[in-house]
Amino acid sequence: MSTSSAAPRGPFRLRASLADRIGEPSLRTLTAVSALGVVLLILWIAETVVNQSSTAVSQLGIGFLGHQVWDPNHNIFGALDFILGTLVSSFIALLIATPTAIAISIYLTELAPRAIRRPVAILVELLAAIPSVILGLWGLLVLGPFLTNHLEPFLKSFLAWTGIFNGTPSPVGMLNAALILTIMALPIVTAITREVFETTPRDLKEAAYAMGATRTEMIRMVVLPLARPGLVGAVILGVGRAIGEAIAVTQVIGNASQFQASLFAPSGTLAAQIASEFQGANPGLWQSSLMYLALILLVISLVVNILGRLMVRRTAVH
Amino acid sequence: MPITTKECILRLRRTTAGLVAVLAASGIAACGSSSSGSSTSSASSSSAASSGSGAALVGAGSTLVEPLVQVWQPLYDKAYGTAVTYGGIGSGGGIEQITSRTVDFGASDAPLTSSQAAACKGCLEIPWALAATDIAYNVKGVPSGLHFTGPVLADIWMGKIKSWNDPAIQKLNPGVKLPATAIVPVHRTDGSGDTFAFTNYLSKVSPTFAKQIGNATTVNWPGGIGGKGNSGVGGALTSTNGAIAYIAIAYVGANKLDYGLVQNAAGKYPTPGIPSISAAAAALKSVPQGGTQGISLTDPPASAPNAYPISTFTYILIPTSTSKAAPLQKFVNWAITTGQASGPSLDFAPLPSAIVAADKATLKLIK
Repeated sequence: MSTSSAAPRGPFRLRASLADRIGEPSLRTLTAVSALGVVLLILWIAETVVNQSSTAVSQLGIGFLGHQVWDPNHNIFGALDFILGTLVSSFIALLIATPTAIAISIYLTELAPRAIRRPVAILVELLAAIPSVILGLWGLLVLGPFLTNHLEPFLKSFLAWTGIFNGTPSPVGMLNAALILTIMALPIVTAITREVFETTPRDLKEAAYAMGATRTEMIRMVVLPLARPGLVGAVILGVGRAIGEAIAVTQVIGNASQFQASLFAPSGTLAAQIASEFQGANPGLWQSSLMYLALILLVISLVVNILGRLMVRRTAVH
Repeated sequence: MPITTKECILRLRRTTAGLVAVLAASGIAACGSSSSGSSTSSASSSSAASSGSGAALVGAGSTLVEPLVQVWQPLYDKAYGTAVTYGGIGSGGGIEQITSRTVDFGASDAPLTSSQAAACKGCLEIPWALAATDIAYNVKGVPSGLHFTGPVLADIWMGKIKSWNDPAIQKLNPGVKLPATAIVPVHRTDGSGDTFAFTNYLSKVSPTFAKQIGNATTVNWPGGIGGKGNSGVGGALTSTNGAIAYIAIAYVGANKLDYGLVQNAAGKYPTPGIPSISAAAAALKSVPQGGTQGISLTDPPASAPNAYPISTFTYILIPTSTSKAAPLQKFVNWAITTGQASGPSLDFAPLPSAIVAADKATLKLIK
């Protein structure tokens, strides 16, 4: 509110300054409350998870993390298979997403014609706009049958000896979930990787060219080494996205409470188990154990996100 | 404070910039409060239960009974002017909410366990609907109507029978050419009345199953695919060649799935449906009184040759001491009599008269 506009309008001057006198502090208060509110909300949510899981934490202890069986009917609860399912599905997702994201980013920052860089970058990032439930449906209806009929029999014929590509091909299972998570993590990893590549100082690139480096050599010797911490951060943030996904994973992973070596087999993750079982869980140890799973997930997610942010910032400021 | 949205916007426009934030906050609150009175859809909102003239009932729980309650709601509102709000949040949630008395009634597919009953402090469990669970399968080249027995089903879900041409299945279906396709058993991951009915049946016919897995709304299946809700199970079933699932009878009919016939104690293979479910209910010898225990309908005696072996009651949970005693009694009384007529179109069988009589006696205990 500029004084120049208030000055000629005499009758409103008093009101304007009154408004200023009340408005300025109240604006500050309101904005501060909004910001602090979010901080408090995070603490509140964390407190709820800690509180609700306390029964299970005190009864089952740290051994919960290493125990395999999940049998609500006999009051036996262990998180190991869900932790393994979460880690393996996210690991495979990033194993595929990371090189793909680096390839896309190199293409978009160094190789692609200038006119198509922005449109393609936007389209890749739009992949993140697909609601996860729709991605899950696509996984179930399109990817699943393709896996059972083509990809899994093919992998099995060559790689059955590894143990992880063995067993009965199945439309739902670890492989399907990992591929869906790949699609989810890809836009995030790509967006950050591309931005990190763009921060490569122009003079360093030109110096490389001046010394006779080819484009490939320049990328290998200048762009990639400089981007390394940022890349690690991008991967970690991608992991953060993949680890917490519940709905799409529930739709395609098969929700078994056992972890198996075969990637074709149905499995479960922390998030998927909470999403699919909490609604029907009886109060007491069962619900509390699901909250314990939530606590593990929360801790993993927070650590991963903080780590990722630190790594990305280190590249951005250098 | 009835302020229309238009007034809100006008008011906001008149203010100077510094005050916008203040009024926006209060304005949004005021605009919001003018509409909140009409929305009482949230089942967990205790305010909806406590406010009003006692003409509204709020309940939550079983998803199995939810479609039936949804048909009942407008009918009952029209007949008696009582709005019944129901949230299908799952049986476990229903038990929890009625235990904390945040709803007027809960609904559960499984009878209360002794510890749940103790925690609920005088909750009555009244059977108010009767449903059944089908065995559906998806095997290329195999027609609908395969024969199964309880022990064979137990072995399939325990992973002991692994392929469709297993001699145990072939023996029951001499005329059918069964492929060597692997069997993929599909189960519900969320707590469900279908899981309760199915494991109740398997526990009766297979001692190994009873010991290893047991009877509950969620159990630890040793393998196979899990799906959330009927749709999750149906999706896994239809996309997997060789899959077999236990699934609500209404879902099987609506989606034209291939279903199996399960041998009953009389050695017959009745078609799952209202007549065979009713036959199972009619075979009940004694009906427990007093609303403190569940009634198992699975594996009916050999004296009922037409009885379908996997059917189950689902229960409404009401505290004996409640401020809504009269409207609850009236509603449940209507649901177990007039309301039963809405059942068959959703594949719920009408309650047998012995159950209705026991229910009416139980309702009198509510004060």
